[in-house]
Amino acid sequence: MRKLIERQRNILDFTLSSLLRRKGKNSALLLVYTGTIFILASVLFLTGALRREAALVLEAAPDIVVQRTMAGRYQPIPLAYAEEIGRIRGVASVWPRLWGYHYDAAFRANYTLMAQVESPPERGTIRIGSGISRMRGARRGDIIALPGHDGQSRSFTVGQVLDHRSQLLSSDLMLLSEKDYRDFSGFPTDRATDLAVRVRNPREQSTVAEKISRMYPDTRPIMRTEILRTYDAVFGWRSGVVMLSFCGAALAFGIFAWDKATGLSAEERKEIGILKAVGWETSDILLMKGWEGMVISLTAFLGGILLAYAHVFLASSILFAPVLKGWSILYPEFRLSPLLDVGQLATLFFLTVVPYTVTTIVPSWRIATVDPDSVMR
Amino acid sequence: MAMAIRFPITILAMALILFAAPPLSAGFTPAKVGAKDKCPVCGMFVAKYPDFVAQVRFRDGSTFYFDGAKDMFKFYLDPSRYLPGRKVADIVAAFVTSYYDLVMVDAISAWYVVGSDVYGPMGRELIPFAREAEAREFLKDHKGKRIVRFREVTPAVLRPLD
Repeated sequence: MRKLIERQRNILDFTLSSLLRRKGKNSALLLVYTGTIFILASVLFLTGALRREAALVLEAAPDIVVQRTMAGRYQPIPLAYAEEIGRIRGVASVWPRLWGYHYDAAFRANYTLMAQVESPPERGTIRIGSGISRMRGARRGDIIALPGHDGQSRSFTVGQVLDHRSQLLSSDLMLLSEKDYRDFSGFPTDRATDLAVRVRNPREQSTVAEKISRMYPDTRPIMRTEILRTYDAVFGWRSGVVMLSFCGAALAFGIFAWDKATGLSAEERKEIGILKAVGWETSDILLMKGWEGMVISLTAFLGGILLAYAHVFLASSILFAPVLKGWSILYPEFRLSPLLDVGQLATLFFLTVVPYTVTTIVPSWRIATVDPDSVMR
Repeated sequence: MAMAIRFPITILAMALILFAAPPLSAGFTPAKVGAKDKCPVCGMFVAKYPDFVAQVRFRDGSTFYFDGAKDMFKFYLDPSRYLPGRKVADIVAAFVTSYYDLVMVDAISAWYVVGSDVYGPMGRELIPFAREAEAREFLKDHKGKRIVRFREVTPAVLRPLD
């Protein structure tokens, strides 16, 4: 056993010094390799994290959202609709939601303002998302002044900075009491932005939605499954764009790796020939080549993963930002909650490290079985 | 003394009305399905289909769960076929899951809609409701054929559902 480990150690030792001897070529390979893994892992991390954010959104999403439209545009919905909808069989509860956007010209950012129904903040106080807190440097107890619908400024005391699991959701959020919200936005007292409906039996959702649109033809009920599909399409499309741009890079790497791995240079052939001449066995040479491939690809793999992690979760995916945040450029900076999926990492590993190691061994084996004399000549 | 006994019962009755709890099978409350409980009729794990669970309680306290009212009726009409030695006379309570609120309601007083477009884990089902008005509305919305009560369910009613 000890002898076996000793043998592996010696061969690894030799491999490393042989790699160092060809510094230029190997570091170029390592760089390209790391870059490819970095991009691929970034895409994987990002899509994984976005999907999780979407799941968190849906966890809190109502079964049906009822919006009112007029000439195809959203309109505030009368609160009287809520009562009637609540009477539909199968509806467990209906609650009106009050929310909207506010453009902050001073910071050039869009906020989502929402009236909180359950345990609302006291009048005159607000709860703000971490993105707003960061951007405006506002902490608990500070005062934020915002111009209301009538142009008059209203000041609110920050009661709490929201620390939510999903930053994408709460980053730009401002929570007010209902009275404050109506006063600030000029929303009529008998209207709400939309209605959230809870249906106890998921099988009954589409029937309830149908009844709502029959009852109020000017409304548009949106079911949870539709929300899910939209999110999936949005995130899927975005990761698709990133994936496409990555494909070129992956192909280039593929060609590069294939070239490097299959066609051994004259120098490497000679090295193998000499090793055989001094008494190395074919298995030793294969072992050495195997170690070589493993050293390069493992280094590239770990380096790429670490870089991608820092890129996605610490630097907010700056490289992909133009593609990913296309839907709202005014969005305050957000950070995705870190998420490492073992399955994802394993997929990446088997798609890069394993094939690379294998491709380096095959050509070496072909040369190592040839007579050293003919290789060296 | 009589008043002292009646008073808590009134409160209990009021509480039942307040929480819209269904009338219970003679004071029994529905038990919770365990992850390992299997339907004696079809052999499937019942906990996977919480929206359709039905249950039958025997005098000795043992409870059996079904993945739908249909299987519960099959069992009820001929218990010894599925569990040798069990008799209808020993059944003290039965509960089904009402469609709209997904809560356990008394199976004896429930209303069932047959022939609707709502399918359970075992295909065509008898869909249970606590109130008649619910059953009527469901019948209209989901193209149901007719409404039956517990005592009206016979093998002839169940046959077209298989």
